[in-house]
Amino acid sequence: MIRKDCAIVELAENRKNKGKNIYKSALLMLSCFVLVFLLAVSISVGAANIHLSTVWEAVFQFDSNVQAHRIIQEIRLPRSIGACLIGACLAVSGAILQGLTRNPLAAPSIMGVTDGAALALIISLVFFPGLSMGEQSIASFIGAGVGVLIVFGIGALSKGSVSPAKLALAGIAVSSLFQAITTAIALHFDMAKNMGFWHAGGLNKVNWSGVHVLFIICIVGITAAILMSKALTILSLGEDVSKGLGQNTVMIKGIGFIITLFLTGAAVSIAGPIGFIGLVVPHITRFLVGSDYRWVIPFSAVFGAILLVMSDAAARMVNAPFETPVGAITAIIGVPFFLYLARGQGRRV
Amino acid sequence: MSILSTEHLKIGYEEKIIVEDLSFTIQSGEITTIIGPNGCGKSTILKTLARIHKAKSGFVYLDGKAIHKIPTKQIAQKMAVLPQSPDAPAGLTVFDLISYGRSPHQKGFARLSDRDKEVIEWALKVTGLEELRDQDVDTLSGGQRQRAWIAMAIAQETELLLLDEPTTYLDMAHQLEILKLLKKLNEDENRTIVMVIHDLNHAARFSDRMIAMNKGRLMKEGTAEEVMTAEVLKNVFQIDAVVVTDPRTNKPVCLSYDLIEQEKDMNNKNGIVQEPVLV
Amino acid sequence: MTTKKDLAKKCIWIISILVFLLLLLFFVSLNMGLVKIAPNAVLQTLIGNGTERDKLVLLEFRLPRMVLAVMIGAGLAFSGSILQAVSKNELADPGIIGINAGAGFAVVLFLFIIQGSMSALAAINLWLLPLFSFLGAVLAAALIYMLAWKKGINPIRLVLVGIGINSGFAAAITIMQLKMNPQDFMKAAVWISGDIWGASWNFVLVILPWMLLLCIYALYKSHTLNQLSLGDQVAIGLGVHVERERLKVLFTAVALAGLCVSAGGGISFLGLVAPHIARKIMGPKHQYVLPVSALIGSFLLLLADTIGQNILAPTQISVGIVVAIISAPYFIYLLMKTN
Repeated sequence: MIRKDCAIVELAENRKNKGKNIYKSALLMLSCFVLVFLLAVSISVGAANIHLSTVWEAVFQFDSNVQAHRIIQEIRLPRSIGACLIGACLAVSGAILQGLTRNPLAAPSIMGVTDGAALALIISLVFFPGLSMGEQSIASFIGAGVGVLIVFGIGALSKGSVSPAKLALAGIAVSSLFQAITTAIALHFDMAKNMGFWHAGGLNKVNWSGVHVLFIICIVGITAAILMSKALTILSLGEDVSKGLGQNTVMIKGIGFIITLFLTGAAVSIAGPIGFIGLVVPHITRFLVGSDYRWVIPFSAVFGAILLVMSDAAARMVNAPFETPVGAITAIIGVPFFLYLARGQGRRV
Repeated sequence: MSILSTEHLKIGYEEKIIVEDLSFTIQSGEITTIIGPNGCGKSTILKTLARIHKAKSGFVYLDGKAIHKIPTKQIAQKMAVLPQSPDAPAGLTVFDLISYGRSPHQKGFARLSDRDKEVIEWALKVTGLEELRDQDVDTLSGGQRQRAWIAMAIAQETELLLLDEPTTYLDMAHQLEILKLLKKLNEDENRTIVMVIHDLNHAARFSDRMIAMNKGRLMKEGTAEEVMTAEVLKNVFQIDAVVVTDPRTNKPVCLSYDLIEQEKDMNNKNGIVQEPVLV
Repeated sequence: MTTKKDLAKKCIWIISILVFLLLLLFFVSLNMGLVKIAPNAVLQTLIGNGTERDKLVLLEFRLPRMVLAVMIGAGLAFSGSILQAVSKNELADPGIIGINAGAGFAVVLFLFIIQGSMSALAAINLWLLPLFSFLGAVLAAALIYMLAWKKGINPIRLVLVGIGINSGFAAAITIMQLKMNPQDFMKAAVWISGDIWGASWNFVLVILPWMLLLCIYALYKSHTLNQLSLGDQVAIGLGVHVERERLKVLFTAVALAGLCVSAGGGISFLGLVAPHIARKIMGPKHQYVLPVSALIGSFLLLLADTIGQNILAPTQISVGIVVAIISAPYFIYLLMKTN
């Protein structure tokens, strides 16, 4: 797919970044350690605080007679690992979207994904009540896909350039439309409260089977993303430039969107819409390691995982023993960040 | 008699200072053009003169009074401004656009008085837009549209008219059309015109006075003959210019020019000796 | 092409047609629903000769509700027109840029604080709710203005900051919603999606004077709006005190939005679609756009309310949902067509 013209980019980078690569690799490894540590901490806190050493035992010397071990194995571990994977999926999706659309405000949550998933979910809950959790997830997954397709369809088919503002507005229009239909159905069939909780985003339904599916999708998706990261970096230089360098921009965009779709769809169908991770994390990543997507993708994955694990822990702690929706915590971080980004958008039309 | 002048003007955006210390005077009844390379601050200076942009320090005087002390509507009765690339909302007719130019003389609901209608008719005539009065501004050609905006500005019935690059996006014929119109307004009605122009030769042909800026400093001020010299153009634009007199207009014209440093390098590399064209 | 006289005549024609359609819809809507009142019965009741039942239903329930729908539709249309002129963006609307969300947040917060349930809404002193809603709208607008202000207002920044503020308030509303008990949650959900809940003459009387005042002021400012829509630089050149005037008209738009939210919950897109259609028919001058868009807004809202009440009877679909379902596709179509 990528021709040797891209060697130019590589050459330039190699000369400048020899020293920096070591720094980046070290940072990545450090981040992974931080993640594992936070995972352990997150597992140990909660309605019943469990000692870190117990956590260690539960993982490596599991004894099914110890209640604490069971809580860890059946509830907390899957939940925290789920948070890890979902955070990674959302962050990587956001990074890919921002690279593909060259739009710093792109994020899965305003692209019609979550509301499409919600609509599909409620349709399946109301009209096909016998579906299993897995099948419901598939339904919301499909809904997510449809949502994304429509929003980008609007962008692709519209006259004039697709500016960040326009895409954001398209996302809002589609989201509002889906939301309206979803609310109408929910209120009519008295499912409002269920939908309300789902909508706020929560990790309390994450079980091992969900984690297994997530794990596979996550690994496949992120690997695919890393494989196309060089293409992404070049694409972010501009459509014309990248075409001039011989890239098949249509195919790259197509593959990119499909990867995003899978990652976000999986995340949303298991944990509901969790906003702002896909928006905020890629920015932090680019700030720390620059715009080379070969670094941005893996770092986003790790940072996204860290962010969500921390937010989930906070969500459990803030109003213990009640669950605060994790979406609220990410909103508290994300909204000020989004506003800060929006302030910088004056120039472009 | 000075109608517009500045004193120790310091202009900038946020932290960046564009103009350090600018003082000049615009004489009444003349056409003055501000020229200079990109980024020298010409548009910003014009906007500051028009009180659209606030200076960091220094003064702009309109008819002897400090401009920031005069109520803005009053200023609009003495000075009309045409910014770069103005944008009319879709569906606005030429007549309606010109009628907005009467607002500094109107109150409240802005009903058109008989006098207002007279002035609008006159503006339509002077700009040659009588046939197009009911057409939408955004369906006009570039030259026609610019004329419509100028008609709005002259409907303000001001002595002073400030224009920011009024000809930049127009083709050759339309550029001349606009400049000739401005010249006519200046000669027939004694209006004072201050404009920013990119095309040096047009500036020289149509101005009574020229102000050459570079990097926020006033490099040279004077008549076209005084400013359009190879020496001045070298300092302002970093070009090696050949200036001759246009047989048609008797005004200085830059016949051809070349870059200064580059030319020397090219000579050495290729071993080609470039003979400067001497006049 | 139309001349000035033609345009004025066209305006009168259009207004007449719209008023006629509105009245028609009024009668049709009364003839639907759980209690059908035929047109001549309506007329009879209005002049005082109707049956007791008709009198009750018409005068105490239906009529105030319809009057409210007409007012809210007009108010939102005015608000949207002003916002679009000020932000130089045809796609601005009080719902999209978060003003409705701010007002909604204030209302939900108010209810939360007084620990009242949604059913107590009607019993609360009718002054307080619109007041809180108005304050919430002003808060949202102030936040948006301050955050979008960077040596002046850039229209794109205004819309984007608005979208951000919208998300913020929406998240806050969700959090508070989840803390309510299930019945209240449901009622809150309905209200937030747009519902003309307070259909009583008392409420109408509370809202009406403010609505009239603000609308008349907006009409008075038509010329200023025209000048602002030429862009800041041209407006300054014409002697308009841009920052000051913009604040004045923005305040009017926000106040109107706040009033409308207090009466009808979060109704999005109406403030966008109505002015748009009006501008297509009448051109950009606000002397024409404002009244025509108000009538279009009233008509659309009354239509949405009628549909919402009757299409899936006996369930009611809240008016905001119907408006969204009708308008979002039109909005998307507009997005695709504009540059």
